[in-house]
Amino acid sequence: MPQQQLVPGKLKLGYQYLVNHIFTFALIPIIFGIILRLDPHKLLNIISQYSLVQILLSSFLLIFFATLYFMSKPRSIYLVDYACYKPPVTCRVPFSTFMEHSRLILKDNPKSVDFQMRILERSGLGEETCLPPAIHYIPPTPTMEAARGEAETVIFSAIDSLMHKTGITPKDIDILIVNCSLFSPTPSLSAMVVNKYKLRSNIKSFNLSGMGCSAGLISIDLARDLLQVHPNSYALVVSTEIITPNYYQGSERAMLLPNCLFRMGGAAILLSNKRRDSTRAKYKLVHVVRTHKGSDDKAYRCVYEQEDPQGKVGINLSKDLMVIAGEALKSNITTIGPLVLPASEQLLFLFTLIGRKIFNPKWKPYIPDFKQAFEHFCIHAGGRAVIDELQKNLELSAEHVEASRMTLHRFGNTSSSSLWYEIGYIEAKGRMKKGDRVWQIAFGSGFKCNSAVWKCNRTIKTPTDGPWQDCIDRYPVHIPEIVKI
Amino acid sequence: MVMEKTLIYNIKLSSVGPGNVTSPDTIFEPGNIDLAMKLHYLRGIYYFRSQAFEGLNTLSIKEPMFAWLNKFPMTCGRLRRAESGRAYIKCNDCGVRFIEAKCEKTMDEWLEMKVEDVNLEKMLLSNQIIGPELAFSPLVLIQFTKFKCGGMAVGLSWAHVLGDAFSLAEFMNILGRVMVGYELSPPISLAQTPTKSTISNGLPKVFKDPLSIKRVSPVGDNWVNFTKCKMETFSFDVTPAKLNDIQSKLSQNGTNFSPFETLCALLWRCIAKIRGKEFEPKVVTICKKSEPNYNTYGILSNSQVVSVVKANFSILEANTSDLATLVKNEESDERKIIEETMQRDCGMADFIVYGANLTFLNLEEAELYKFEYKGQKPVSVNYWLDGVGEEGAILVLPGPKDGGENGGGGWTITAILPENEVNELKLELKREGLVA
Repeated sequence: MPQQQLVPGKLKLGYQYLVNHIFTFALIPIIFGIILRLDPHKLLNIISQYSLVQILLSSFLLIFFATLYFMSKPRSIYLVDYACYKPPVTCRVPFSTFMEHSRLILKDNPKSVDFQMRILERSGLGEETCLPPAIHYIPPTPTMEAARGEAETVIFSAIDSLMHKTGITPKDIDILIVNCSLFSPTPSLSAMVVNKYKLRSNIKSFNLSGMGCSAGLISIDLARDLLQVHPNSYALVVSTEIITPNYYQGSERAMLLPNCLFRMGGAAILLSNKRRDSTRAKYKLVHVVRTHKGSDDKAYRCVYEQEDPQGKVGINLSKDLMVIAGEALKSNITTIGPLVLPASEQLLFLFTLIGRKIFNPKWKPYIPDFKQAFEHFCIHAGGRAVIDELQKNLELSAEHVEASRMTLHRFGNTSSSSLWYEIGYIEAKGRMKKGDRVWQIAFGSGFKCNSAVWKCNRTIKTPTDGPWQDCIDRYPVHIPEIVKI
Repeated sequence: MVMEKTLIYNIKLSSVGPGNVTSPDTIFEPGNIDLAMKLHYLRGIYYFRSQAFEGLNTLSIKEPMFAWLNKFPMTCGRLRRAESGRAYIKCNDCGVRFIEAKCEKTMDEWLEMKVEDVNLEKMLLSNQIIGPELAFSPLVLIQFTKFKCGGMAVGLSWAHVLGDAFSLAEFMNILGRVMVGYELSPPISLAQTPTKSTISNGLPKVFKDPLSIKRVSPVGDNWVNFTKCKMETFSFDVTPAKLNDIQSKLSQNGTNFSPFETLCALLWRCIAKIRGKEFEPKVVTICKKSEPNYNTYGILSNSQVVSVVKANFSILEANTSDLATLVKNEESDERKIIEETMQRDCGMADFIVYGANLTFLNLEEAELYKFEYKGQKPVSVNYWLDGVGEEGAILVLPGPKDGGENGGGGWTITAILPENEVNELKLELKREGLVA
């Protein structure tokens, strides 16, 4: 019944407009009132009552407080540009190849092979996702050398691309943060970057490992904090996950799941607090909200690296992963909501909350409409289930989650860098306009839910480079529920 | 035996597929004659000196193959059965199997060793057949074996259902061209759903099987031909000088016989001698390259001429020149009849062609030495067949055009015969002066 829906819809729109612009609505009559009553002579009389010293002192005080305010305001952090790694076509893994190799490697465990096939059919991945060369062997040959090789290829490609795009030189970099959860060699990956690019000896370098798929936003948070302390600096953040050493070689079903979903990928991001980047930067960082549910035992153990009965190491994903993710998201939303939601939504949420507590607990909890606060959503492409769950919880349309779904299809789950592929998709589609707000949500082991809010600084022209450049015209694709392999 | 175990070592398996995504549900339907050849497999080895592969690692060998295979998505697919039971290939990008291996001998040592031991060359490629599961059996397997000196042997296993030896040679030649930057035209367009099998009308009323085939008991999904005795392969070279010698003995009435006709006749007679009057092969099958304008769709096809030659006299008592004349003039092309026979069975029958009668395969026109790697020609090429019937098969291959121990030209004869006949044939050939 569209007629009936139209009326409440219009009412809601009117309510939102009123509440969100309440100050404007309140201020206009007051200003009019003052202007009408204002008399220039009366004003001059009032001012001449005070002596020069008093006026000067009050103006100094005003200037002092203004300066204090501007000094203590946190520095604006800009995202100058970012670059995502595009794996070569030689690393491509079609479904049929993955399944055939699986059958040969796990020939004594047909049930595990069937399980993998069922996961792959429903995974939402496409036929172009990539695995590193060592994993293409039957059986895989994950040597340390191969892992380092993968790390070098991914990280150096991304950084080279970023330097080419932004025009910075290695000597300009003041802060370096590399996050890679499962591969942590000595010397660290950040040391590897310093060595390759001959970065300055007074570089502030950090290497975050073990922090899961949400480590990308943790790195951004760390970079932001460092850029508050160090004026006039560039921070290079590299987010990646190295697949080679972590491919599970056993046959336990719960631990085979990551093999089906995780794929090669990486991103390099340049952040700056320099004033001159305020015009050329793509985005401005508005908020970073981190939520850690590790104090709850179930959440802590839901993504757990362990040995299987045969002694093979893999990551065990528990069955209540989605429930825990939902809870973590709720916590995160509770913190981020007040920061981003317009007053209208917050009031509604407050009223429903009070109403449920005092009047009638049976009232449906009000889910704030985050579509009011953001134009674009980047949900970590952890798997089809994660995207489905979030789409349902946040009441998002198919277009809002398109970037996440298409990234999962084209690149698979690239862990901490997937959010950057998703933003790349939105830009490649030409949808990113100045003033657009982007919400990046990442989940990771721990269990953590981290969010970052960016504001688009300038309308971004459709890029002619980047990982989506040769395939964006084929997207969006329809991804069937179950793919026939 | 122990020495052989470590002779070839460090074997690693992976897969290489097309770089582009083949659209889902793309299929390739082997024709009737392709299915008639399904129990046969081509095995080929190309030997290259170290200059061809200098400075190349596995990734640089694999890289051009992705562009190459874009043109041949059917080689990367896997077999399925339609509702009617007829086999077709689902082009699902599964890929060709890529095998890397190392050899502890130098290439020259190896080339000497293989003269003595027939089975050595089998270690340079995969001897896999299709089955027991059609959906998980690769159709093409390529092995790169690196010798101690840096030389490389490229070993191929090819399911005959995809195409004949001429197609395979061209398939490999194209890889050589892609390596030096040749741009390939797009692949032939393929169907999306299997065509429904229909019993076509207007076929001849006489349902006699062609002479060139032999029906075997149903193989199901295990595409292998069982023979009562073990088949063995051996090769020997024929120099141009030697051939001139033989030809001069033959052409007494002025007719000129081609090298193939000469060798064919000679070997036919030798084998007849071994088998004795009771079992002498009165019918032989001759296979050679199809005519230039023969109706083919795409580069890979089983369009080779399959014809039979019938002798109505005793082979043992005949002159070699009589046999050569027969081969030259009396072939009867059986391709159409084979197609119709398979069509009548809706593609479900199981035949063999090679070895149904004593078969001679003329590969003179297969451009085997045109597979160049980084501009280097192979020093030696050998092809043989698997799944050959008990009557045996003999391949006449061209020798290296320039260089080689023969000084250029020459031929390699590869024979696949029951093991008890091999030694006898070697003696016979010695008597004829063909082998030392």
